[in-house]
Amino acid sequence: MPNVIGNPDKGVFTPGRLPQISEPVMRLNPASDPRKMRRIIAEDPEWSLAIIPLLRDLCLQHIVKNFENNPILNELLPSHKAKVLEKLSTKLPLKVTANLISHEGYWNRCCTERWGVCDVACYGNSWKRMFFERHLEKIIELFIPDVTDIKTVLDVVPLCKNYVKKLNISQLLPPVKEPQMNEDDNASDTASDLGHEGPSIDHFDFWTLLDKLTHLEELHLVYGVSGCGMNFEWNLFEFTYRDCQSLAKALKSCKTLKVFRIHQSKVDDEKVRLLINSLLDHPFLTVLDLSHNLIGDRGARAIGKLINERKMKSITVYDNKIRAHGAQAIAYALTKNTTLTSLNLRLNQIGDEGGQAIAHALLKNATLTNIHMGSNELTEPTATVLSQVLVQNKTLRNINLSCNRLGLDGGKQIQEGMSYNTTVVEFDVRLTEIGQESEYSISQILQNNQEKARKKLITESGVKK
Amino acid sequence: MDPAENGSKEPEPEESVPSVESDIPEERIAARRLRIAARIEAKKREALGVDPNPKKEVKQELKSEKQVEQSRQRLTKLKSDGTELVTNIQVAADSRESQRRTDEAEARRQRTERLESEAKMSLEKFEDITKKWTMARSRELPQDLWEILNMQQQQCALLIEDKNKLINDLQQELKASDDRYVKDLKKQAEDIDLMIERMEEQIKNLMKSYREELNQIEKSFELERRELLDSNHNKWEQMMQCRRDKELQFLMMRMKRVEEQERQLQQLRVQDAEEYNMIKIKLETDVQILEQQLQQMKATYQLNQEKLEYNFQVLKKRDEENTITKSQQKRKITRLQDILNNVRIKHTKQDKQFREENHGLTEDYKRIMEQYKEMQKKMKHFANVDAKKFQEIWLMNEEEVKELVQRALETDRIIHEQQLGLAWEKPHLPFMERSGPIVPEHEKKKLALQLAEEVIRSKGNTDADEEWEAVCAPGTQSDSPPFQEQDRLDTDNTESSADQPLKISVKTIKRLLEILCDETGFLIESKLLKLLSPLEKDEQSLMKLDAIFMALGIENEEDVYKLADFFIKYREQQTVDSKGADEDESPGKRESHAQKETGDGSSHRSSSSDLIHPNDVLQALRGFTKEHFKPRDKSHQQSKLFNLNERDDSKDAAYWEDMVNVIPEAKLKVWDALYNALEKYHHVLTERMKLINETNGMKQQNSELRMLLHQYVNSRVNAELEIPPTQVMQVESSWN
Repeated sequence: MPNVIGNPDKGVFTPGRLPQISEPVMRLNPASDPRKMRRIIAEDPEWSLAIIPLLRDLCLQHIVKNFENNPILNELLPSHKAKVLEKLSTKLPLKVTANLISHEGYWNRCCTERWGVCDVACYGNSWKRMFFERHLEKIIELFIPDVTDIKTVLDVVPLCKNYVKKLNISQLLPPVKEPQMNEDDNASDTASDLGHEGPSIDHFDFWTLLDKLTHLEELHLVYGVSGCGMNFEWNLFEFTYRDCQSLAKALKSCKTLKVFRIHQSKVDDEKVRLLINSLLDHPFLTVLDLSHNLIGDRGARAIGKLINERKMKSITVYDNKIRAHGAQAIAYALTKNTTLTSLNLRLNQIGDEGGQAIAHALLKNATLTNIHMGSNELTEPTATVLSQVLVQNKTLRNINLSCNRLGLDGGKQIQEGMSYNTTVVEFDVRLTEIGQESEYSISQILQNNQEKARKKLITESGVKK
Repeated sequence: MDPAENGSKEPEPEESVPSVESDIPEERIAARRLRIAARIEAKKREALGVDPNPKKEVKQELKSEKQVEQSRQRLTKLKSDGTELVTNIQVAADSRESQRRTDEAEARRQRTERLESEAKMSLEKFEDITKKWTMARSRELPQDLWEILNMQQQQCALLIEDKNKLINDLQQELKASDDRYVKDLKKQAEDIDLMIERMEEQIKNLMKSYREELNQIEKSFELERRELLDSNHNKWEQMMQCRRDKELQFLMMRMKRVEEQERQLQQLRVQDAEEYNMIKIKLETDVQILEQQLQQMKATYQLNQEKLEYNFQVLKKRDEENTITKSQQKRKITRLQDILNNVRIKHTKQDKQFREENHGLTEDYKRIMEQYKEMQKKMKHFANVDAKKFQEIWLMNEEEVKELVQRALETDRIIHEQQLGLAWEKPHLPFMERSGPIVPEHEKKKLALQLAEEVIRSKGNTDADEEWEAVCAPGTQSDSPPFQEQDRLDTDNTESSADQPLKISVKTIKRLLEILCDETGFLIESKLLKLLSPLEKDEQSLMKLDAIFMALGIENEEDVYKLADFFIKYREQQTVDSKGADEDESPGKRESHAQKETGDGSSHRSSSSDLIHPNDVLQALRGFTKEHFKPRDKSHQQSKLFNLNERDDSKDAAYWEDMVNVIPEAKLKVWDALYNALEKYHHVLTERMKLINETNGMKQQNSELRMLLHQYVNSRVNAELEIPPTQVMQVESSWN
């Protein structure tokens, strides 16, 4: 080596002597390469003045290379650690990386390489959490009962159970073979009949999974196939009774759950009752979302019971089949409850009877802030009661009555009620045929209220500071 | 309002603003209102935690704030409009959906109605047809049958046609709804597109307007800043100008002051120089005078030095002498010291020796004392034992003697009564009653209590027994009064003073006892009092006195008299004292008192009232106990010892002699005569007895001979004999 090191002085600037140096020597010694001996190389970000790489760097490179077999990370100095994390491959098996690496930068690279579009804000600004949640979601969404080995799911669980807080499952595949046979047998039958016949139509059994995820707080489910295209079959969108049973069991076992959402899954009264029965003594559940289902009055009654028993904060049941009786049950629950802040009944058929019941309940309730009763076949009588609510209730902030034919008289009553109110910030009265005059005055009052609310907020924050 | 203006010309803005000191009342009111408003605002701001900034700043900031407020309002409006525009689509979709739902519900209702009516109709038709089948069966003509069958066929076809029509309708409806579904899908896709478009547009708009507003706000802020800068700059300039002016002024002032002070300095200098010269002259003259004095002093110094030197020489000589004598003295001192030491050593030695000796002697003394004590104890013990032994022996002997006496008397009696036949009279024998060794009578004093009893019992006849005066004869009615008299006189002599009190009358004693009984109740136990309550008065007072004497330690008669005497003396002393106190004031009174004293002199001992005042009893008692207890105790003990040692045995011989002389001389003579006579009598009796014995022997010989005779007579040998003795006898007798 000494002669090689001695070389640059003479050799670099005398190109004539270059050919004399043998090829391997040239490869070993970067100084022999005239390009590498240039002082500044703009294109090369790795370039450095040090001609021979430091032993430290070599070691780190080695660690990176052999990370899969011999993961050394926490023993390193912070600066070295950062370097190693920068260079680690994203293709490393999760078994190695999951519990070892907590550095966000690495998981950021993993996520962006795998999915491209990522919004880390949805995952509590944690790339690692995002990675593991989406990883698990993908595995569950692609799980085919009886075909895929359950182990594929269970293997991942110990790796990601510490990081998964939310599961947003957008599809659950039905078993492949037998449904086809069923289809052949009962081609003319309705889909619902089909669902009840074979046990094979059941989906992924959550019971095996949920009690292992000790940090799970949110669960969003859709029992259906997304993007089926022209392969549409009714039985792809089936939520069987056994599915429901296993789900109920799973929910009972998952004690940390706070938010539960199941939508577009044909949940009918029976199933909703079964689910709510298992949720009645759940310790933490606060938000329940059952939108786009087939819940009728009996289901609504069960929901009312849940509102009463548990300290729910938000209930969303829009696009269901709740009628006056169900609405009355929910209204009764509202009179007793002191925790619920948000109620969404959009696109149901509660009618005037139900609307009046709920409005009467609002006279007594002092916690609810948001209520959505859009598209509910409400008319003038409801508006009458609601105007009274507007005068008396001091907690309501957002009210939505859109797409209800309140008529001119109803509009006037609501306008009158609003003129006494100082707390409501939003009041949606679009497509309610209440007349432009009322609409305008209401919007004026709303503006005033908004200003007041804003000032109050500013003063409160000022006081807090 | 320009701050520069504000700073430079302060009075100007005040003129424009209504002043409180204005002449016009409306203006004054307005000014006050403004002031109140300002105060309230200041308070509000303080409450909100904002610094109470000066007014002008608030006004300046208003511009930017206004701008911000305006833009905010515009933006919120824009935003709400935008969201409304976007959500409009959703709402429209909702309303369409609800509309569709109601429509569909209606359609479904119609459909079901139609289906139901159709089903009913077809059922009716079917029933018609089935009825006709029965009709057809009843027909027999083939033509008719054919006709009917044709009809049936037609009707069936009609029925099927109806059904098919219905199916077609439904299928069409299905298709239509399918179409509608597709349309809806399309529509929804369009809606979504529209929504996205609108959202994008809104975002674009919002971004644009935000940017604009931001620009405007920035502009306004910049403007404000510039204004603020300008104003500050102006202010700065002005202040600088002001400063410059002031500096110039200060400079001028300083220069003026410097000039003045220089002048003053000059003046001071001149003054000081003059003063300095004056002082200098004065000091120089002083120096001259002092030098003269110095010369003088030097001369005197020389003189003194010579004198002192001479003195020094003399002293030196003396000192030498002194040293010599000192050394001599020292030597002497050392020598003496040696002697002193020697003497001291000797002294200590001797001291030690003597001390040891002394110690030994004291030891010896102690030992001897102990031995002596031991000896005394032993002696006491032996004395006691001896006394006891003596008494026992005495008693034994006495008993023996008494027995002997008794026997003698008995024999005397027997002799008198049986032999002489005379009545016997028991002689008077006093010593038989008593026992134990003879105790000298004078030591057997009467107990105090006995005296008290006597005194009290004699209550009734005190007046008569004035001269009973147990005083003189305190003893019991003893057999040997002369002895006792003698003894008493002896004791009187020894006790000397105790002689007098013995003459105290019974009355006085009684009185004294009564007083004691009344006054010293505290000495009696309460229990005793309780027990005494049921007794007679005399008994009571006796018991009480007993307790009191116990407490006071009074044991015998003598003590009682002492006590009485003491009381009397005490009283006399008291009266003397009181007299002494009275003397200065009234000598006459004293005389009368003395007279009274003398007058009462004779009766003073007998009169009880004068004995002592009850109030003084306690004090007197205390004095008495103090005086009399200790000496008496000692004497008591001594006398006891004395008693043991020197028992007077003079009377013993007489006593025993008495015993011996129980049987008088005359009687003895009688006895002798009797003895002789009896002796003679005895002699006769013995003679007689002898004779009797002889006769008795003769009698027995007779009887024995008779028996032998009888035997011989009655024996067989006789019979065998030729002549039985019996016959002999008979013959003999007959002969006789």
